[in-house]
Parts: sequence; C-alpha cells; structure tokens
Amino acid sequence: MAALKSNILRLLVVFLVLAACAAAARAYVTIVEDSAFDDRQMRPQVSFEHNEHNEKAGIESCNTCHHFYENGEKRKNSDSVGMECSSCHYKAESGELELIRIYHKQCKSCHLQKEQGPVQCGQCHRKTGENP
Amino acid sequence: MHAIYELAGGFLVWAALVIFAGGTVIRMAWLAATARKKDAAVFHYFSFYYALRSILHWIVPFASRNMRLHPVMTAVTFIFHLCLIITPIFAAAHVILIAESWGGGWWYLPDAAADIMTLTVILGCVFFLIRRISKKDVRYLSTAGDYILLVIVAAPFLSGYWSYHQWSGFEIAGIVHMLSGELLLICIPFTRLFHMILFPFTRGYAGSEFGGMRSARDW
Ligand code: HEC
Ligand code: HEC
Ligand code: HEC
Ligand code: HEC
Ligand code: HEM
Ligand code: HEM
Repeated sequence: MAALKSNILRLLVVFLVLAACAAAARAYVTIVEDSAFDDRQMRPQVSFEHNEHNEKAGIESCNTCHHFYENGEKRKNSDSVGMECSSCHYKAESGELELIRIYHKQCKSCHLQKEQGPVQCGQCHRKTGENP
Repeated sequence: MHAIYELAGGFLVWAALVIFAGGTVIRMAWLAATARKKDAAVFHYFSFYYALRSILHWIVPFASRNMRLHPVMTAVTFIFHLCLIITPIFAAAHVILIAESWGGGWWYLPDAAADIMTLTVILGCVFFLIRRISKKDVRYLSTAGDYILLVIVAAPFLSGYWSYHQWSGFEIAGIVHMLSGELLLICIPFTRLFHMILFPFTRGYAGSEFGGMRSARDW
C-alpha cells in the first residue's frame, strides 16, 4: 500500500516536472503567432523575444498583458497565461480587425507612453524578421 | 521619434481635418455669395436635371466628345483618380489606425492591391509631369504652382510606398508620409485641388446653361 502511494507520488512529480517544462518551452515565445491569423497573414510576423522583452521593459506582472477580467473589472491577482489573446478577443463572424486593434493597442500604447519600443508598422512587422 | 510620431499622428491629423473641412465650407460659402452678387441669374436657371445630365456625361469614361478626342489622357485621368481616392480610404493601415484611435472601421484592401494602386498613382503623377513638360501648349500654360501641386499630391503616395516596402530610412519615410498627407489635405481647399469639390458645380453650371438656356449638349 505504501509502495503504491509513493509510486503515485513519483508519477505525480514526473508529471508536474514535464508540465513545467512544457510551459517553459511554450513561454519561450520569439514571435507572436496568434492562430486566429493562421489563414490570413497579410504582414510579416512580429518578432517578440517574450522573456527578454519583458525583462528589458521591466514588466513585473504577467497580467499586464495576460490580463483577466471579472464582472468588467481587471483582477489584480489573476491572469490568463496560456490563453491566446484571440480566445477572448476574436469572433470569426466580426472579422479580424478587432483582434488587430487590441494587439496594437496593448503593444503600442505602452511603447508610446514609455517612449521606447516600436510604433510604426514596419518596425514591428519586419520584412527581414528582425527588429531594428 | 516617439514625440514626432505622436504629434504627426495625433494633433496634426485633427488640425488637417479641421482646416480641410472648414476651408471647404468657407470657400464654398464665399463662392456662393460672390456668384449671388455678380451673376444672380445662376441660381435662377439652375436645373438639377440638366446639371446631373452633364455631370454624368463627364464622370463616365468616354461619354463626352472631348474624352473621345483624347483617349490616352482620359484613360490615365480616370484610372489615376480612381486609385487616388480609393487607396487612402481603404488602405489597411489607415483603417487599422482609425480603428485604434476612434473605434469602428470598415472593409480594407489587401496590402498587395493597395500597393499596386499606389504605384499607379505615382506613375500617373509622372505622366502628368511629362505631359506638362513635353507638350508645348501645356508647358506654356503651366506655372510653378502646377508643378508644386503635382509634388504635393505625389508625396504621400511615394512616402507611403517607401514606408510599406521598408526601404532604408523607412521610419523617417513614415513620418514624412503623415506630414505630407496632412499637407495635401490642407492644400485641397486653397488650391486648384479644389476641383474635387467644384467639379459637380462647374459641370452643373455648364449643364444648366447649355441644357436649359441653349437647348444644347455640353459633352
Ligand atoms: C508584453 C506583454 C506580455 C507580458 C508582460 C507577458 N506575456 Fe506572455 N505572451 C505575450 C504574447 C504577445 C504572447 C504570444 C501569444 C501568441 O502567440 O498567441 C505570449 C505568450 C505566452 C505563452 C505561450 C502561450 C501559447 O499559447 O503559446 C506563455 C506560456 C506566456 N506568454 C507566459 C507568460 C508569463 C508566465 C508571463 C509573466 C512572467 C508573461 N507571459 C508575460 C505577451 C506577454
Ligand atoms: C480571459 C480572456 C482574455 C484574454 C486571454 C485576453 N483578454 Fe484582453 N480583455 C479581456 C476583457 C474581458 C477585457 C475588458 C472588456 C473589454 O473592454 O473588451 C479586455 C480588454 C483588453 C484591452 C482594452 C480594450 C479596449 O477596448 O481598449 C486590450 C487592449 C486587450 N484586452 C488586449 C489583450 C491582449 C493583447 C491579450 C493577449 C496578450 C489579451 N487582451 C488577452 C479579456 C481577455
Ligand atoms: C507595459 C509596457 C509594454 C508592453 C505592453 C509592450 N512593450 Fe514592447 N517594449 C517596451 C519597452 C519599455 C521597450 C524598450 C525596451 C528596451 O529596449 O530597453 C520595448 C521594446 C520592444 C521591442 C524592441 C525590441 C527589443 O526587445 O528591444 C519590440 C519588438 C517590442 N517591444 C514588441 C512588443 C510587442 C509585439 C508587444 C505586444 C504584444 C509589446 N512590445 C508590448 C514596453 C512594452
Ligand atoms: C508594436 C508592434 C506593432 C506595430 C507598431 C504594428 N503592429 Fe500589426 N500586429 C502586431 C502584433 C503583435 C500582431 C499579432 C500578430 C500575429 O499574431 O500574427 C499584429 C497583427 C497585425 C495584422 C493581422 C495579421 C496579418 O498579418 O494579417 C495586420 C494586418 C497588422 N498587424 C497590420 C499593421 C499595420 C498596418 C500597422 C501600422 C499601422 C501595424 N500593424 C503596426 C504588432 C504591431
Ligand atoms: C493624415 C495622416 C496620415 C497617416 C497617419 C497615414 C498613415 C499611413 C500608414 C501608417 C501607412 C502604412 C505604411 C506602412 O505600411 O508602413 C500608410 C499607407 C498609405 N497611405 Fe497614409 N496616412 C495619412 C495620410 C494619407 C493621405 C492624405 C494619403 C493620400 C491621399 C495617404 C496615402 C497612403 C497610401 C496610398 C498608402 C499605401 C502605401 C502602400 O501600400 O504602398 N495617406 N498611411
Ligand atoms: C471626385 C473628385 C474629382 C474629380 C471629378 C476630378 C476631376 C479631374 C479632372 C476633370 C481633371 C483634368 C484632367 C485634364 O487635365 O484633362 C483632373 C486632374 C487632376 N486631379 Fe482631379 N478630380 C477629383 C479629385 C481629385 C483629388 C481628390 C485630387 C488630389 C488630392 C486630384 C488631383 C488631380 C491632379 C493632380 C490632376 C492633374 C493635374 C495636372 O494635369 O497636372 N483630383 N481631375
């Protein structure tokens, strides 16, 4: 009985470690590639060194971007890490303009406010794949 | 760079729109008042039927004799104006920026189409320039203002093209684009570009006179 328990425990640990690795691997994002744009990509993809960007920009809280709302209010201690922006901000029937708008709004409004980071189309959607 | 971008993309857009709209209203009011004083008969014999008939004949390609006499000029002018007006209204970048700033938005052109239409406008400007230089009678009638106006019209298209293709210095081209676009809007009410607004009136006037008074055609 004790052996079975510790085996289950071991399995659980292995599972947790694997899950953590998977999450870490997924968090190592280098371009933004929302699946909602998969079959309609008009501009070059946006290179976005996720962790490096957030470190350099000094963003402490994940929910600055991966926010979570309840009853119309942003929850300070919750986030939506692991969800694509499109899972909340995209409805196929109303087109992709709204999704483009919220991506741009989140990225650009901070860059303008901090006076750092790209704000023109070509600075984010680089044809060469790299940011200036 | 951020400060200039915010100025050119914020306050100056509003300033340009207000001057464009205000200038158009004021100039129209002034023209109407002058016409009433100097040629009050205009209002008397103005006829919507003959005005519309004339406008239609001049807005449909090759529906007027003058157009049939100058097929190349007519084709270039129509294609040029079509691209000139449709591209800025339906360029993806413009619609996206409007959605970002004011909300809403509308259908937009695929970038590839807007790109070809932009090139068409640039080539149209080159055509008008060559025509001005190479045709003796046109050159004789041209003033420096005519050439400057062509440059003012071409500038937002050239810089937009530059910025879209991300050629070197495209960040500056982007700023130049915004500023030159605003300059173009501001110039419309105060220059010959006002023909955009005046066209239905001048044609309507000629149409009413020829149709209503002389029972003749003016196309
Ligand atoms: C500057 C905004 C921003 C911040 C801050 C941020 N992220 Fe992200 N994150 C993104 C974007 C944008 C994506 C890419 C989404 C996509 O491609 O669909 C992403 C993707 C991810 C993904 C992958 C999701 C997937 O579906 O592939 C994970 C995991 C993630 N972030 C975790 C985090 C964690 C943990 C933090 C806090 C330490 C954090 N993020 C902070 C913007 C941000
Ligand atoms: C769990 C669902 C959810 C996810 C995932 C999510 N959001 Fe949101 N977001 C909301 C809600 C709810 C609001 C507030 C209601 C509103 O204004 O639409 C909001 C508001 C916003 C706004 C302000 C809206 C406005 O009109 O000004 C922006 C910008 C935004 N989100 C960007 C993003 C980005 C970028 C991502 C991906 C990194 C993202 N959101 C992920 C639910 C979500
Ligand atoms: C909360 C503020 C904030 C948000 C939100 C934000 N950024 Fe940034 N970003 C910055 C700052 C600050 C810099 C300048 C960092 C530096 O270079 O020191 C920057 C720089 C960049 C750079 C320049 C390359 C680099 O790493 O130096 C890129 C590309 C970029 N951001 C993309 C994005 C994208 C795409 C988004 C939206 C998914 C985004 N940013 C959202 C603050 C933000
Ligand atoms: C701060 C960075 C940033 C700037 C500046 C920016 N974008 Fe984006 N844009 C993004 C991100 C991030 C996405 C989401 C990309 C994805 O998931 O593939 C996006 C998505 C898009 C999409 C939908 C995806 C596609 O390729 O069809 C279009 C179109 C687009 N942007 C056009 C523009 C235009 C036009 C401009 C200039 C007016 C512009 N962007 C400026 C970051 C930016
Ligand atoms: C008033 C302020 C304006 C702003 C802020 C603005 C902004 C922009 C932006 C950001 C782009 C995209 C460039 C890129 O892809 O990198 C663009 C493209 C373009 N703009 Fe404007 N614009 C303005 C006015 C105008 C005007 C007045 C005209 C013409 C009458 C014009 C014509 C165009 C065209 C034709 C393109 C497409 C270029 C291409 O795809 O090759 N713009 N504009
Ligand atoms: C619906 C609106 C418009 C109409 C009906 C119109 C009509 C015309 C006509 C009839 C010509 C004369 C062609 C010739 O010389 O035979 C012309 C020329 C021209 N128009 Fe327009 N136009 C309109 C809008 C505009 C706008 C909005 C612009 C620029 C912002 C513009 C820019 C020009 C230019 C640059 C020329 C060529 C001038 C030259 O020969 O150098 N037009 N237009």
